[in-house]
Amino acid sequence: MNHCVPDFETDDDYFFSASANSKRHKKSAMGDEDIMELLWQNGQVVVQSQNQRSAGNKKSETMPSTAGREIRSGVIDEETTPSNLFMQEDEMVSWLHYPSDDNSLDLYLHNNDIPYPVLPSSSSAPATTLPSSLPPPPPPLVTVPPTRPPIPPLNRVDEEPSQPKFANFLHFSRSNKRGLAGSGPSSSKQMSQAITQSTVVESNIGCRGSMSSFGGAGTSSAGTGREPETCDVSASSSPGTGGSGASASVEPSSHKPPPATDDRKRKGRDTDDTECYSEDLEFEYHDPKKKSRGSASSTKRSRAAEVHNLSERSDKASMLDEAIEYLKSLQMQVQMMSMGYNMVPMMFPGVQRYMPTMPAMGMGMGMGMGMGMDHIGMNRGMVPYPSVLPGPQMPNSAAAHMGQRFPVPRFQMAQVPIMGPGTGEAANPSDPMMNSFPTQNANQPRVPFLDPYQQCLGLPQTQLAQQQQQQQNQTGMAAVTSKPSSSKDVRYPQRHPTG
Amino acid sequence: MSSRRSGSTPRITDEQIIELVSKLQQLLPELRNRRSNKASASKVLQETCNYVRSLHKEVDDLSDRLSQLLSTIDDDSPQASIIRSLIN
Repeated sequence: MNHCVPDFETDDDYFFSASANSKRHKKSAMGDEDIMELLWQNGQVVVQSQNQRSAGNKKSETMPSTAGREIRSGVIDEETTPSNLFMQEDEMVSWLHYPSDDNSLDLYLHNNDIPYPVLPSSSSAPATTLPSSLPPPPPPLVTVPPTRPPIPPLNRVDEEPSQPKFANFLHFSRSNKRGLAGSGPSSSKQMSQAITQSTVVESNIGCRGSMSSFGGAGTSSAGTGREPETCDVSASSSPGTGGSGASASVEPSSHKPPPATDDRKRKGRDTDDTECYSEDLEFEYHDPKKKSRGSASSTKRSRAAEVHNLSERSDKASMLDEAIEYLKSLQMQVQMMSMGYNMVPMMFPGVQRYMPTMPAMGMGMGMGMGMGMDHIGMNRGMVPYPSVLPGPQMPNSAAAHMGQRFPVPRFQMAQVPIMGPGTGEAANPSDPMMNSFPTQNANQPRVPFLDPYQQCLGLPQTQLAQQQQQQQNQTGMAAVTSKPSSSKDVRYPQRHPTG
Repeated sequence: MSSRRSGSTPRITDEQIIELVSKLQQLLPELRNRRSNKASASKVLQETCNYVRSLHKEVDDLSDRLSQLLSTIDDDSPQASIIRSLIN
């Protein structure tokens, strides 16, 4: 029997080629007058001429997955599948039903904007193009139009575990567009299983290359076709998650008929979507794995599942990490904004002493921020003091904010000297900045500021400021917010008699 | 997380994921006081979503207030620069 491998270029080549080139390619072009029919048999697509329909040759044909992935429409590769193609009667009969609807099939294909039409157009001799009656080669087999009860092909898929591969995948992807849900949950489940199998096989086969090519071709050719998107998603996905991505993207669509979800799933959101839906997919994986027909593909499937799990787990962990970081940054941002919102009103002349006047120092910033926020916290109870004080914990954003704040204190410092003469506290040797600060701060300006501030904050704040001020003096910390001023003010009266 | 074999290299273990979830839980104000084992991962994630939403809302609210504040002061003042730095 001749096996003809129709040589038609389609975006679906990927699907076809992956699983069994031969089968798809069996465009019944073998004999001009001999109409070849592609049938699924035991996981193999068997091409058999109609005349040989009853021939019981069952030769499992090896599906050279890596063999020519392309289906050339016009060229018949008889060498691609040396094995004979067989055809089972029942399958043949069921399969025949589809060809009967060639027109609808064509319509379907065209509606789907699938590159399939390319086949007929590009195919030359093989009379078995889509328009032809029976043979619409792989496409019909692969993509049993969902309009027709896809059950026959699906049944076949179930029967042949190893076979479905891309064919089912393709069918699945096509059906998605048509609302696979309509075909029924059972069929979708089957298809999903098939898809997973196919995706697993895909990943194993390393179809990624083909997928990318497919994706490229798909996008170029299909405008609204979903396959291209699916392929793109797969192609864009990392190799490890390629299969899972494809399956994930495909799976959810099958489970969620609404096209919106499909778009969401398919729209190139590879990792995110796969992560989201990998959970569902995992369960799907489980079933196929368990039900795997125990063929060699099960090993591949388990391996792919492992890879999928690994990538998924790492995705989960990375997602959790990201969530934690984002949550922290968001909390810090809210803290900064609230603090700024509270501090700015106090920055106006008269209350400027409250602002830190020290240059940005690592600890200083922390201290400043801590103090500021501490004040705010005490004022409003929004910020817990201990949690805010440590400077190193502040994120870079906070540091940036602090950095931006520093010019302000300097500005205020510039103003300070103008406001009043040195108070005699310049002799503070502990810190040069502190020296400048006392000199610049006049008693009068500070007192008015401090008093209302102290009144607002209450006594504890003053005491705290004192403590912090003392700490700062001792440690020589430069960046201090209102502590120095407040403490100095507090101390000022004490020093006054002395100073 | 289904317990699947991690494969040859134990890059990420379930333990790690559980730890991350507990870390996340500690950041949540509602679940922080509870013992880490009390909240399930799904609850933690749910609370995280809610908390992030509330934080976003708060950030927007603060931004609005800061903008209003910014409009009331001179743009040349240092306060304005501070406010601008806070508003994203």
